[in-house]
Amino acid sequence: MDRVQYYDVNQVEGHSMTIILDNGELETVSRNNTKGAGIRALCGGSWGYTSADGDADLQAGIQNASELAASMNRRTPKERIELKTVSERSRRKKIGSMPVIKINPDDISAEEKAQMLRDIEKCAREEGIKSTRVSYSEAILLTRYFNSEGDEKEYRTVRSGFSISAVAAEGSCYQAGRESRFNIAGYEIFERNDPFSLAREAAKTALELLNAKTPKGGALPVVLDPELAGVFTHEAVGHASEADLVLQGDSVMAGKLGEQIAIPELTVIDDPTLHEYGFYPFDAEGVSPEKTVLIKDGVLNAFMHSRETAGIFGGESGSAGDAGRAGNAEYVGRAGNAGYVGNVGHARAQGYAMPVVRMSNTYIGKGGASFEEILEDIKDGIYLIGSRGGQVNTGEGVFQFNAEKGYLIKNGEITDLVRDVSLSGQTLDILKQIKMVGNDVKLHAGHCGKAGQTVPVTDGAPHISISKATVGGA
Amino acid sequence: MADIFPIGAFSVEDVKAGVEKTLKLSEGWGAAEAEIVLSVVESTSIQFNKDVIETAKRSVKTGYGVRAVVNGAAGFAGTNVMSGLEETMRAAIASAKVMEADPFFKSLPEKCGGGGGGGGGYQSVGGLFDDKIVEMSLEECIGCAADMISGVKEVENMIPTSGGFSRSVSYFFIMNTNGLAGEKRGTSVSGFADVTTQSGEVSTAYDYAVSRRNELDFASIGKNAAELAKKSLKGISVGIEKMPVIFHPFSFSDILENTLASSVDADNVQKGRSGLAGRLGEEIAVSGLSVIDDGALAGGIASAPFDDEGVPTQRTPVIEKGVLSSYLYDSYTAGKDGVKSTGNGYRPSYAAAPSVDLSNFIIEYPPSDIIAETKKGIYINTIIGAHTANEISGDFSVEGRNAFLIENGELTTPIKSVMISGNVFEMLKNIDGAGRDVKNVGGIVTPSIRISEMSVIGE
Repeated sequence: MDRVQYYDVNQVEGHSMTIILDNGELETVSRNNTKGAGIRALCGGSWGYTSADGDADLQAGIQNASELAASMNRRTPKERIELKTVSERSRRKKIGSMPVIKINPDDISAEEKAQMLRDIEKCAREEGIKSTRVSYSEAILLTRYFNSEGDEKEYRTVRSGFSISAVAAEGSCYQAGRESRFNIAGYEIFERNDPFSLAREAAKTALELLNAKTPKGGALPVVLDPELAGVFTHEAVGHASEADLVLQGDSVMAGKLGEQIAIPELTVIDDPTLHEYGFYPFDAEGVSPEKTVLIKDGVLNAFMHSRETAGIFGGESGSAGDAGRAGNAEYVGRAGNAGYVGNVGHARAQGYAMPVVRMSNTYIGKGGASFEEILEDIKDGIYLIGSRGGQVNTGEGVFQFNAEKGYLIKNGEITDLVRDVSLSGQTLDILKQIKMVGNDVKLHAGHCGKAGQTVPVTDGAPHISISKATVGGA
Repeated sequence: MADIFPIGAFSVEDVKAGVEKTLKLSEGWGAAEAEIVLSVVESTSIQFNKDVIETAKRSVKTGYGVRAVVNGAAGFAGTNVMSGLEETMRAAIASAKVMEADPFFKSLPEKCGGGGGGGGGYQSVGGLFDDKIVEMSLEECIGCAADMISGVKEVENMIPTSGGFSRSVSYFFIMNTNGLAGEKRGTSVSGFADVTTQSGEVSTAYDYAVSRRNELDFASIGKNAAELAKKSLKGISVGIEKMPVIFHPFSFSDILENTLASSVDADNVQKGRSGLAGRLGEEIAVSGLSVIDDGALAGGIASAPFDDEGVPTQRTPVIEKGVLSSYLYDSYTAGKDGVKSTGNGYRPSYAAAPSVDLSNFIIEYPPSDIIAETKKGIYINTIIGAHTANEISGDFSVEGRNAFLIENGELTTPIKSVMISGNVFEMLKNIDGAGRDVKNVGGIVTPSIRISEMSVIGE
């Protein structure tokens, strides 16, 4: 059998609970226990992966994954994959500071949690609200990791959160207001966020939208609120900066490292070490992550890497050496003309699935402008708030997002409320069109899907203005 | 059965004995009724990055889902630890005890009429299992992926970005305390290819196919995607106007899945979250349109003899000649409306309680040569952003991809960027044509559909 040069094992064990209160009635109380392992083996240029649920026999799993990798490599010989070396310094590094969990969700009874949801629901049930849905979820996971290079570590996380939606109706017009808060936190999630005022906020949005107009579509100056600007950052900038997509030729950012792609006020960061929903102390390859500055002062600065993509980036340029950069980053070395190309530590997996290059907590850094200054500067246009989701084609950089609501801006003043507004455009064009970056960064937790896996993430930004973007309406 | 599970970690007979024992125990632990499902999915997938076949995955996903009813409320628990079934039953009972009695909850499904236990009594649905898929070797799987890559490369200057092949064999077993018991199995293969240009202007496209039988032409999946990306080069911009739009099955099914699907879900109807609530018998679409949900469709990707709570699947006309004729029900929502379940109780996985979902959703409209019949319009292959639609009101605003102008009955110039805004219920009333190109897109079976007029917003 061909020699397997590397293997690693991600073992996950945990339990979760979901409670859903639908129109004031408990619809779901659900508990889940998960246990299993995902095992990868690398032979030449081929990966073999196997997973096993429950009490898995890890040695057998390593054997199976190795056979799969070797047999793949025999049948489809190709260039050998060289994983980026993780330095001894990083390897010996202790797990950094872990988020403090104040209230273990296991210590709170399901009855008490259900009562909390009932209390929240009452605040959303304002006159004119036709239906409500309040849900709570928690997950406590123990992740163990080891590999053929002798690394062995583990960590435990507690995540929890809640979401509220309220639907208002008038004739055949239905409008929804939604609020959600998730974090790497225990039951104190309800102390750190005021769920009752959020519930009233969701109801208010739904009711207001009933009487909102739909704007005329077209190319307009726009102002994005921190939540929608965060979604843009994640979808349009973040995904295109994932090195696996760059290598597949599926990113508009390919070949643009070192180029000025936006105004100097724009900085975009992905930081797994922040104690936010996308936090992890080490990634699915056992690497302790560092903050990665994707766009620095308007210049495309770095990509997010797994050990495989970092190896390829370094290899292509003929250098994977550490050029003595300051700080503790386990970064990919200077790569020929491209220079610094980014950090490893961005491989993540849902549970024990096959690791993929992913984001964590991604945000636009603080700029200098106040919200008022941004409005004044834009004069006439549209202010888009909140997000109902978005999607991007990273290869061509085309994206589409739906705002929850918007306001027309006339003469620097916020005027009429509008609904059913979406934003679309080309990532590089829009980046160039960013005019001002606000000073009011806010983060919002959510979930990101890629390669069939969902992981917790945070997106964020301050208010930003864009001189021209396509806004879809009626 | 045993040969489906090569790992041999457990035998189906042992599992059934354990399930029966746990159901018996549940009564003593306070459950009035209980249900256990076991799901086993064995799969292989081969992935490629660019034109390199890089990864082979093999996995067996196994788990139990348990529902327990206490005082007229159903609690749920799941586990993938095979030795943890009794503990999971206790957790489901504990969940149920938190909930208040639900006056609308009738009971877990009764056993299907006719034959005795052990899977008896259910109809048989053909074309869901192919031994060839069970037996597929790693080499054959790699071959399918390689075929997709060579299909892409047949087209000049095109290369895959990513894609892959996968095969899966699934087994599902259900038993409840009302004597209901059944087992079902199925196979499937699928291929997906995402492509881009190798040099020069960037143009991307994808194609996808899925089947219950090992009969897909993988090379053509790659080739179709590559040809579409090639044709999409040198796109122009269009202005803002209203014009006829033809949706390819990919884009049409994407819109339906994110709007109409939730509107015909009886749970949304009952909770005031559907634009179709209270409208049974009303004309909601053009008279030529019929929409049928058919969980018993032979060879259907979502077909089975029974749904995920043991209710037999059936053919349910949802829209008959333009008239809204039925919503889709699982056993709970059916009990609430005093009707029979339409067999649409599905679970995303063993780890979730069943809820209403589409099975095979079939769109029927008299076919014709719709492109040839269109003087001026736009053809949209795929869209992005469909999941941002307002699923209650049916409003959506999406970005059209691989779009083309239709001029004098022919697809002509590609369009670089175009946003399509509309409302699904208005669309249903403005359908005026369907193609002959019926495609099965993940369970939604539809031809290309023409809408007489829609808002089109260019750059």
